[in-house]
Formats: sequence, C-alpha cells, structure tokens
Amino acid sequence: MGNLSFKNMSHGGKLRAALLILALIFPFFPFVSEYLLHIVILIYLYMILSLGLNIVPGFNGLLDLGYVGFYGIGAYTSGLLTVHFGLSFWLIIPLALINGAIWGFLLGAPTLRLTGDYFAIVTFGFSELVVLFLTNEIWLTRGPLGLPGIEPISIDFSLFGGPKWEFVGELPYYYLAIVMVLVTVFVMYRIQDSRLGRAWFAIRDDEVAAVSCGINLLTYKVIAFAISAAFGAMGGSFFARWVTFLSPDMFKFWESFLVLCMIVLGGMGNIWGVMIGAVVLVSLSEILRDLLPLLGLPVNVRFLAFGLIMVLMMRYRPAGLLPIPAVAAQMRAGRVKRKKRKVTVGTKK
Amino acid sequence: MTPILQIEKLSKNFGGLEALRNITFDINRGEIVGLIGPNGAGKTTLFNCVAGIEKPTKGQIVFTGSDHAIHIGGKKPEVVTSLGIARTFQNIRLFDNLTVLDNVKIGRHCRTRATFFSAVARTRGQQAEEKNITKNANEFLEFVGLKGRGDEIASSMPYGSQRRLEIARALATAPHLLMLDEPAAGMNPQESSDLMHLIRSIRDKGITVLLIEHDMKVVMGVCERVVVINYGQWLAEGKPHDVQNDPKVIEAYLGTGAANAA
Repeated sequence: MGNLSFKNMSHGGKLRAALLILALIFPFFPFVSEYLLHIVILIYLYMILSLGLNIVPGFNGLLDLGYVGFYGIGAYTSGLLTVHFGLSFWLIIPLALINGAIWGFLLGAPTLRLTGDYFAIVTFGFSELVVLFLTNEIWLTRGPLGLPGIEPISIDFSLFGGPKWEFVGELPYYYLAIVMVLVTVFVMYRIQDSRLGRAWFAIRDDEVAAVSCGINLLTYKVIAFAISAAFGAMGGSFFARWVTFLSPDMFKFWESFLVLCMIVLGGMGNIWGVMIGAVVLVSLSEILRDLLPLLGLPVNVRFLAFGLIMVLMMRYRPAGLLPIPAVAAQMRAGRVKRKKRKVTVGTKK
Repeated sequence: MTPILQIEKLSKNFGGLEALRNITFDINRGEIVGLIGPNGAGKTTLFNCVAGIEKPTKGQIVFTGSDHAIHIGGKKPEVVTSLGIARTFQNIRLFDNLTVLDNVKIGRHCRTRATFFSAVARTRGQQAEEKNITKNANEFLEFVGLKGRGDEIASSMPYGSQRRLEIARALATAPHLLMLDEPAAGMNPQESSDLMHLIRSIRDKGITVLLIEHDMKVVMGVCERVVVINYGQWLAEGKPHDVQNDPKVIEAYLGTGAANAA
C-alpha cells in the first residue's frame, strides 16, 4: 500500500490511476452540470478536511471535536487577507497553513496532556470559541454580517507583464481542488511510512509502550495537532476564495461532527477509507436535500438520517467501510481469537 | 568497574502504602540478575521506578550506561530509554494493529532523527535512515527467532512469539541494560528453555539483563545472581542456589514453619 508511482503497477495502482483519470475527465461528460461540479468540488474539499482531521483520531487515537475551528481560522485568514490586502491566493495558502499550525500548536501544547474525553471537550470548547470570536469581533470580521466580496482566485502574471487569468465558473476550482487533494494524499502517504507516522501509530496503540520506546508523547501529539490544523486551514483558505463569502455560522460545531463522521464511516486511520467517507456523506447530504422535499419531509431530517447511518455502522461495521487491515481482522476474529489464544498458551509451540 | 545500575535506599509510597522501602542493591555490567519475591512484593514497582514510569519517593537510582554516572530517579521514561535502559512488560504491550516489523522499527525511534519535513521531502538522509532502520529491525527479528515473520500483524501471533517480539523491540532501542518483566509467564517448558537460551545470547552481546521471574527453573537456569524482595524490602541476595536454601527466603514464599520443615 502507499505507492502512487506508475512503476510496478499493482491492482490497487491500476485502480488509483483509473480513478485519477476519471476525475480529470469528469467535467467533460455531457451530463455534468455546474451544480454537479460544485458538489464534486465540495467532496474534494471535505476529502482534504477529513484527511487532515484523520491525523488526530485516526493516526493518534485522540478524539478531536473542534476541527472546524481551524477550518474557520484558515477561511477567515484567507478572506481577510484578500479583502484588506488583496493578497494572491498562492501567497495565502502558505500563510493560512502556518496560521493553522500556530493555532494548532497554541491549543495543543497546553491541552494535549489531557487524556480521552477531557481533551475532546477542550477541542469542542475551542471551536465554539472561534465561532464566538468571528461573531463578536465585528471590527475585524464584520460579525454576523459576514464577509462578502472576496475576490475569486486568479493566476496573475501582470507583475512580469504577463496575462492575468481569473478563475471563472467551477471548472478551474475543480482542477485546483484535485491538485490540493493529491498534495494532501501525497503528504499523508509520506508520513504514514515514516518515523513520524510510526511514532503516531505507536501512541495510538499503546501509550506506555510508546514511551518506553523513547517517544515523547506530548511532542508528537502536538506535532500531529499542528499538522492536522494546518490542513484544516488550507481547506478553509480554499473555501473562502471559492464561495467568495464567509459568515461565522458556516463554522458551527456541526461541521466538525460531519468531518468526524466521514472518518468513522470510511475507516479511521485509512487514507482511502477516509476519502470514501467524504464521498459518501457529501453526496448523501445532497441527494437527501433533493429527495426529502419530494417525500414531504423538511430538509433538516437529513441530520436524522446521518444519525441513523452512524448507528447502523456501529452495529454492523464498527471499523468503517474501509478499515485499516489489522483492525478489520481484529474485529472479524474478535471472539474466535480470544478463545483460541487460551488454548495456544498451553499447547502450541 | 562501577556497577551499571546502583539502587540506593529506594522508597516508593502510594499514598499510605509503602510499595518499596529502603531498597539497596547493585547490578554489575554483563550480569544476568534475577529479581524475585512473592506476589505483591514490589518487583514491578521497582522496574517502573527505574524505567521512569513511577517517580521514586526517596532514594537514588544511578545508571552508568557508557561512560559517566547519571541519576535517573524521576527522569521521564523516554529519557531513560534514550540513555540505554529498555524494558518489556508483565502483560505484553505490543502495538497490536501494526506489523511485527513496524513494532521493531518503532523501537529504533530514539536512535533516529528524521522529522516531518524530511519525511515529506524524502531527503537522501531520511531514505538512508529508513533503510538502516529496516535492516536493523530485521536483524533483531532474526536474533529473537522471528525471521521472515515481519509482515504478520503483531496481535495475531501466538503468545510466545509476542513475548519474543517485545524483546526484539526492546533490543532495538540499543540498550545497555535490558529489564524483562516475567518473560516466561505462560510459556511451556520448551518455550522457556528457548527463552533462557535467548537471554544468554542477549548477555553475550554485552547487554546486562535484569529479570523478574516466577518460574524458578528459569531463574535457577539463567541468573548468575538473585535479589529477593518481600513486602517492598530487600530480603536476600546471592547465588541462585544459596538464595534458594536461605531460610528467610523459604519463609517468605511458604510461610513460617516451612523453613524448619525443609
């Protein structure tokens, strides 16, 4: 797993290449409307978000309920820098990444000593704090009025006497989103196979054993949190320049929960599973938006549907649609293995 | 030569409970020392104090890994590991969802230094280091007798192999002193005799071994010296056979009167 190169192409490799080609030619299918393209971009955005969040619960085993806070920080960083300073998007991306990481560090460093639920509550509080800040600090964010008139992304060579090409319609955003997803997936794969990734997995599986292998828990958790926050902010910076309007209620707790659901649904810790989770939940949300009124139900019933799906998942596929192989094997063999182990202690060499 | 580990007047209280009281003993370089005592005597607490998981209430722990003596009492466990003390656990603690090879690779953590950026950029240094980690990890797996099983998932291995894997992971941290907490627990006679062989070959690599063990065959077979503690206090120390016949030790294990009968 984890080889995106075209050399020694395996089954999985072919599948990946096929999916990428499909994604690249997708906008040219005759049935694809602007609306559909918009939804697919939304899927890509949520892929970035869920891949970023996945680092914390999936790789480190920590529950993070405040991810949307970093998403909001990234979005407003991008929005404000555009409105006030007219910065180019290509400059904003690294700035938003850094700003996200800084806030991830500031939140993580003092609070990551907390374990389990306590940490989850702190992150939840943080995301509420971000929303309150965005709502009340009117001098900076215009509060509930929102931040309209954010310029769309452009590729500008006018400084060098070249042309300026502004992003119009969904198509350029579509390809930009693909590039951002690919970069995110690339980074995730590189981390997964590295010393850093292994340290995270060790922390997830057994903290005491991790410590006795020389891993400093706090340091590695803070790194995880900062990197995760940076990707959230990157998603946010794209979001701001794509929808060109921001308001605080876009960053309510519900968004954190939705991204977390994608991870749980897809398979915590598995890069492909997490992306599938994003595809399923975003498309489901859109389908229900059309379907529910036809059935004479209010649109918000879809939140109930999400809850129902999560309950069913926990009952029938607790490890997710596409879990990490080991977790899947454990869940499957759970009861059988425990019985077998008792026997093997005494008899098998 | 200075002892590799000097424990001086070590005490550990949990609230009102004195888990360890005034324990003093040394471990010499290149020895295999057994730490024995009845259940609840404080053996694992002593291990935890040395490994940095528990903070000693009083007393000193001095570790002389390579050149100079360092007070490790109260130091953080990851620091103790990087100084050169590795351990295994009484109830096996592996990284269950990871492969056998990855488990050992994680042991190399404190001897390597690649960061996030070098991992993403896959710099030449990082690649060389990764290669080295894999090579080392495979060597340690071969050393404990798990060659060719690196791709299995750790939790799916049989019990005895998990014990060996834990030892391989501990060895991967390149320790001067290896502490084994009941390595033979739950093993059959064949497995424990293989384990004794393994412990001797670890010592032959120049690593000092301290082990807690209840299986007396293993203790008698492999240890050169035995330290006995009881109710958190030092009780006896010496060659396995002398300790075995020490009336105090027999009394501690079997109760008053047993010593006279023996």
